[in-house]
Amino acid sequence: MAEYFGTAVEDIFNTMEERFLSEGTLDVDVTIGYNISGEGGGNWKVTIKEGTLKVEDVDGEVTDCTAILNANAETFVGVTLGKLDAGEAFSSGNIKVDGDLTVLVAVLPKAFKPFKPVIKASAIVESVEERFRPEKAEGVDIKIGYDLSGDGGGQWTVVVKDQTCTLKEVLDDDCTVIMRMEAQVFVDLNQGKLDGGTAFSSGQVKVDGDIGAAGQSASLFEKYVAEGAAEEEGEELISLKCVPSINQRYATGPTMGKWFDGLKEKKFFASKCPQCGRTLVPPREICAQCRVRCNEFVEIGPDATVTLIDVVYYASPDPLTGKIRETPYTALFMVLDGVSRDESFAHDLNPKDIDRIKPGMKVRPVWAEKRTGSYKDLLYFEIAD
Amino acid sequence: MAKKNRNVGIIGIGQTEYSSHKEHQNQAEMVNEAVRYALEDANITLDDIDCVVHGNMELFEMVFQPDMWHSLGSGAYGKDQFRITTGGTTGASLVCAADNLVASGMYDVVMAIGMEKLQEGHTTGGITNMADPLWFRHLQTGALTATTATMMMEEFGEERAKKAAMKYRILMDKHACLNPRAHRRFGLEYDQADDLMNTSPQLVGELRLIHMCSQSDGACVMILASEKKAKKMCKTPVWIRDHITVHREETFNNFGIEMPEMTHHYAARKLFERNGIKDPVEYFDVFEMYDPSAWWGLDWAREFLLLKDDEHIKLLEDGEFDLDGKLPINPSGGVTASNPIGATAMLRPAEAAMQLRGDAGPQQIKKKVKHALASGFGGTLWSVLMMLEKDLDWQEVENG
Repeated sequence: MAEYFGTAVEDIFNTMEERFLSEGTLDVDVTIGYNISGEGGGNWKVTIKEGTLKVEDVDGEVTDCTAILNANAETFVGVTLGKLDAGEAFSSGNIKVDGDLTVLVAVLPKAFKPFKPVIKASAIVESVEERFRPEKAEGVDIKIGYDLSGDGGGQWTVVVKDQTCTLKEVLDDDCTVIMRMEAQVFVDLNQGKLDGGTAFSSGQVKVDGDIGAAGQSASLFEKYVAEGAAEEEGEELISLKCVPSINQRYATGPTMGKWFDGLKEKKFFASKCPQCGRTLVPPREICAQCRVRCNEFVEIGPDATVTLIDVVYYASPDPLTGKIRETPYTALFMVLDGVSRDESFAHDLNPKDIDRIKPGMKVRPVWAEKRTGSYKDLLYFEIAD
Repeated sequence: MAKKNRNVGIIGIGQTEYSSHKEHQNQAEMVNEAVRYALEDANITLDDIDCVVHGNMELFEMVFQPDMWHSLGSGAYGKDQFRITTGGTTGASLVCAADNLVASGMYDVVMAIGMEKLQEGHTTGGITNMADPLWFRHLQTGALTATTATMMMEEFGEERAKKAAMKYRILMDKHACLNPRAHRRFGLEYDQADDLMNTSPQLVGELRLIHMCSQSDGACVMILASEKKAKKMCKTPVWIRDHITVHREETFNNFGIEMPEMTHHYAARKLFERNGIKDPVEYFDVFEMYDPSAWWGLDWAREFLLLKDDEHIKLLEDGEFDLDGKLPINPSGGVTASNPIGATAMLRPAEAAMQLRGDAGPQQIKKKVKHALASGFGGTLWSVLMMLEKDLDWQEVENG
């Protein structure tokens, strides 16, 4: 199919229906003929009547219309895209109109949204080397694979190393990350028509390998701007950025002080409600249910029985350090020996036990070598066998 | 029962669209957009507002006393204003507070504003700070946990539980697709369920990305008035019948060998008892639930509706939570679709009220909607539950 300025004549007629503005043509009753000569040309008849549209691909020259436009394919596409000056095309005779010229001027702008070139996934991928921003790639060593299915799809590997970028038309086996999706999804993402998070959440995009690398890759390239797409003028959106950091210290009070003091000696203490008898772990000053003070402490554990297991894959920041945690890690809910059955305790699991841990298992604490009375004194629990 | 001095009606509702970014407006401007819609809806002006209650999650945007800045958009200058910030329940607490302020006789017309611009901060980074700083904070992952998924798979079998959670998720998406204000509208179909429940990225255990709520920007405003004013100012006021707020200890001690009664169950039991509601599924015509994930949404339906065993899963499987079902859940699409956190719990009574008025838009329930239930959630399972009525004709239950 012959293309001019990256667009085929057909594309313009094929998109008429979706570009049609019904409400703008309620009082219109016209037929417009198009005789487009040259490679990729053809004959079309467009009927606009009281808010309805009919586009016909016809055989042979169109006659008998309110207006008939005659042009060669390159001129027609160029003028439609705004690449060629319409006035000049008329003046030079590259476009000729038979019939009522004012129909074209008066009706077309209110009947159709402007034509935007169809962007192909391959065009976006193939321009990746030109769009590469070496200044953003210092120390980056990744291979990004694209596996795009459907119309306009294909497989590519983009290699970024030593601040250079190379494109290969194969999918390498050792990619850092491979992104799989429909070619149209890729185009929509690239053009900002589809939100990346949405596409990922809804399963339209599948990511194999390092998700972090997929996110990072976006900043390595300039945005793709289609050939022939006029840059839309808009106002700059200005935002302010800041990263606050606040030092904090919290008093423990005597009850939690007892707990932290116990950790130094590898001991767990619970407070006990004098009224209902339940144990509270870590110790709390009062029993919230009975609203009485709990001044009695009992030593509990140190072993525990697992009740629930949360294997966390989402890399969230550790609120005490601000550092992103390594994943996966396991948060364990358990009942320490000697406490009330409804009182669970939670802590990390030794990563080596992640595949073996099951509810009902006995676990034991693993302590830090040097203990200072902090949550860091207790490294994690592990299976006791 | 909480004694009301006088009845209180909802006379105006305003919402922005909910979306992932609102780069074109600042916080005060976003608040103003919803305030304008609510004033327009109530057909009144700022002069008619006696008092403003404002709320969000300060730690997310890291603006302390945001109500001062937002006065530019809320019009609170020179009026009484209170800031309410109860975490996830904020939006619901705002409506409860506005109701209390009017019911007490202190103010005739109160405007409640819930807002959040999650894109201006770090949601999980902020939310992890909710945990007791002395212990357990190092374990905090925000609202992400698979404990409910694990327990449901244990109780109902892995296959049925996973399928039911996905069905709930897709149902919510179908509702969201109808709601022009909803943030995430995926267009999911039921035949995608098997694929999604196995391939969507895992966050924690079987809690997958697809199950989890969105992070949205947006604001919601509701205007409440005394019965006398409401009848004078508004053709279709919606009446706030009763509400309950239930908090528990702020710890991780919920998951022992025996589980304590869940706050949602406790709230529902108390609220229905004192209002003489014997069968909530029969009584209510719509339930707008704060459902932060598909797993929680489905599980909590059992708690809030006082159902037993697998009754909630059966109702879902039989389509009874659909828009044309016995008790439609979340015509709005719920929290998995839109989640501007400080406003999220207000979206529930807002949507419920519009359903009662009959002007909810494309997601309007077709059959008659007379009685509505709305819930809020936050912290370690804090719960707010509210009953709304179309007509001022319910039977007071003495000493309930």
